[in-house]
Amino acid sequence: MKLLLTGLSHKTAPVHLREKLAIPEAGLPNALRELQNMGASEAVILSTCNRVEIAVTSLDHEEPGAVVERFLKEWQGSAAAFEGHLYRLEAREAIQHVFRVAASLDSMVVGEPQVLGQLKSAYAVAKAEGAVGGLLETVLTRAFGVAKRVRTETGIGQMAVSVSYAAVELARKIFGSLQGHTVMIIGSGKMGELAAKHLHRSGAKRIIVTNRTWERAQEMAAVFNGHAVEYTRFAAMLPEVDIVIASSGAPHYILTRDDMHRVIAARKNKPMFLIDIAVPRNIDPAVNEIEGVFLYDVDDLEGVVNANIQERTKQAAQAEVIVTDEVERMMSRLKLEEVTPTIISLQEQLEEIRAAEVARTIRRMPPLTLDQQQQIEAQIEAMTKSIVNKIAHGPISELRRNAGQPEGVQVIDAIRKVFHLQE
Amino acid sequence: MAESSLLWLRVAAGLYSIGLLDAIVTVLRRRESLFRVAFAAFGIGALFQLVSIVEQGLVQHHFPANDFFETMSLCAWVVTAAFLGIYWRYKAESLSVFVFPLVFVMTMVAALRNPVARWSSESVRSTWLIVHIVLAVLGYAALLFTAVAAVAYLMQERQLKKKQTLSFYRLLPPLGMLDELISRSLGAGFVFITISIIIGSVWAYIEYGTSWIDNGLITTSFITWGIYLALIFFRVSAGWRGRKAAILAIIALFCSAVTWIAHSQLERRLIQ
Repeated sequence: MKLLLTGLSHKTAPVHLREKLAIPEAGLPNALRELQNMGASEAVILSTCNRVEIAVTSLDHEEPGAVVERFLKEWQGSAAAFEGHLYRLEAREAIQHVFRVAASLDSMVVGEPQVLGQLKSAYAVAKAEGAVGGLLETVLTRAFGVAKRVRTETGIGQMAVSVSYAAVELARKIFGSLQGHTVMIIGSGKMGELAAKHLHRSGAKRIIVTNRTWERAQEMAAVFNGHAVEYTRFAAMLPEVDIVIASSGAPHYILTRDDMHRVIAARKNKPMFLIDIAVPRNIDPAVNEIEGVFLYDVDDLEGVVNANIQERTKQAAQAEVIVTDEVERMMSRLKLEEVTPTIISLQEQLEEIRAAEVARTIRRMPPLTLDQQQQIEAQIEAMTKSIVNKIAHGPISELRRNAGQPEGVQVIDAIRKVFHLQE
Repeated sequence: MAESSLLWLRVAAGLYSIGLLDAIVTVLRRRESLFRVAFAAFGIGALFQLVSIVEQGLVQHHFPANDFFETMSLCAWVVTAAFLGIYWRYKAESLSVFVFPLVFVMTMVAALRNPVARWSSESVRSTWLIVHIVLAVLGYAALLFTAVAAVAYLMQERQLKKKQTLSFYRLLPPLGMLDELISRSLGAGFVFITISIIIGSVWAYIEYGTSWIDNGLITTSFITWGIYLALIFFRVSAGWRGRKAAILAIIALFCSAVTWIAHSQLERRLIQ
């Protein structure tokens, strides 16, 4: 069985080429059928905004490259348009690539979780079309396992890599669960709204909005099912707020150290998370010195994001080790699968000869008492089995040793010929 | 001590025990549902204690601060009166978490003056002691847990303040969770230690009469309990977290260790 993966990704092709090769979800079943009609044993197509990849398997005497070539010509006009951008990976390299894609090591943002979902649905479509069921299926299902292993054994997907997610991550580090916590949004900056959206989705359901423009405050409050508060009253409400997102256009500090001292005392020192994403800043940086107050401005959040990206890179190195290990395991499993049929038919062949010879010998034996006959039969059985096993041992270990080796095919062929094994 | 004076003192201690219950409920469930009842009992208890003190003075013909037990009772009453005054003026309800247990234990100790009973059997005696020890051990374990959580809180807080996200600190639980842990373990530990100290006092009272009370080793356990009480008080009333809470928890843990060592010497000393 031959495996070939052809495709292009954000690493090899600009978007105008990727969109040309892309196959819409509705067209996938047709495309898969077409590939099979052209001679592919199995086929899976992963088509996302960042990559388009076609994986096919074919019988040993077929050339999967030619199948894909024909397919590209027929579906996308010509394969030449993508030349220089397409990668063609075979056997081991293809398996490694699928594992890396599933584990999100080949993604634009390393560790992002979407690609695994996309790969799973690509597999589901192929499964529904009956386009998988052999080698490709084995590789894909193992890839999902590899992705899971990478996620649990490394921290690759745990760190936020956008400013608004970093805010949510920090809020979780401070409060644990965000359930039952109150968020106040001051001003109507876009980034503030985005951060609030993420917090809201993460469980902070009570949202208070304040703005110099009353109508704007009401509008935004409606988005979050929260309630609007007049700008003059917001400071008085701060003691009951856990997270403040400041993104107003005020040219001066709207929250000073003295203000926050009062607020934190009224809260009995319960921690408070202040996110200042306004420029110029809305909150006096000295506020961060107060115990229980955690103030992060845009630069701080960017700093967190950068540190997280670095950390993800470190984790990715660990993940690569896992992928290599998994590829090794997969390869030895496949190699073994390759020679297993030969081993089985060799064993069957020898057993058949042995059983026939034993039966003949027993038929020709002079009459004996039942007891004697049973004893002799048992001895002959044991002896012949031992002879056959010893004869088989050499060729079987030779088969196992040569599995997957370049000259392996000749060795397998030779053994098949020597023992007259059927195809 | 005059019989009836002691009786009034015991009635007062009984009434104050409702205050202790209120403090425990507040610490464990953070609700002040029992406060009104406890406060009323506290007021009535203060009256009984005043009667006890005055009667003692009249019977003895001297100011009732003649020995340890009289002084302790008087001191407890002064704390009670001060609390009632402060409450009347400022409505400082949160102070009750500190004052109620303190006054109860002081009054209880003051009431353990005249030996009244002997052990009904050896097994009751040893069970009583085992319960005291088990509760104390549980209390110390909870305190150790509190101290560890408080230190973790401190480290996590520092990290968040410094805006660094080193991978080691990712392993620490969120501040909110640590805070919850501290509250729970502190509350549970406080209940264990308080009941343990009450049981221990009663045991010592029946076992040794009044000779144990001025033992320095025993005083350490009361000091430890006092620090525990302060820790609870600052936490419930002022919401002490972070550095202050961590330092106080570590001091309490240190005192517990001292108490532990002291108690291993206790048996021998008391017999001497």
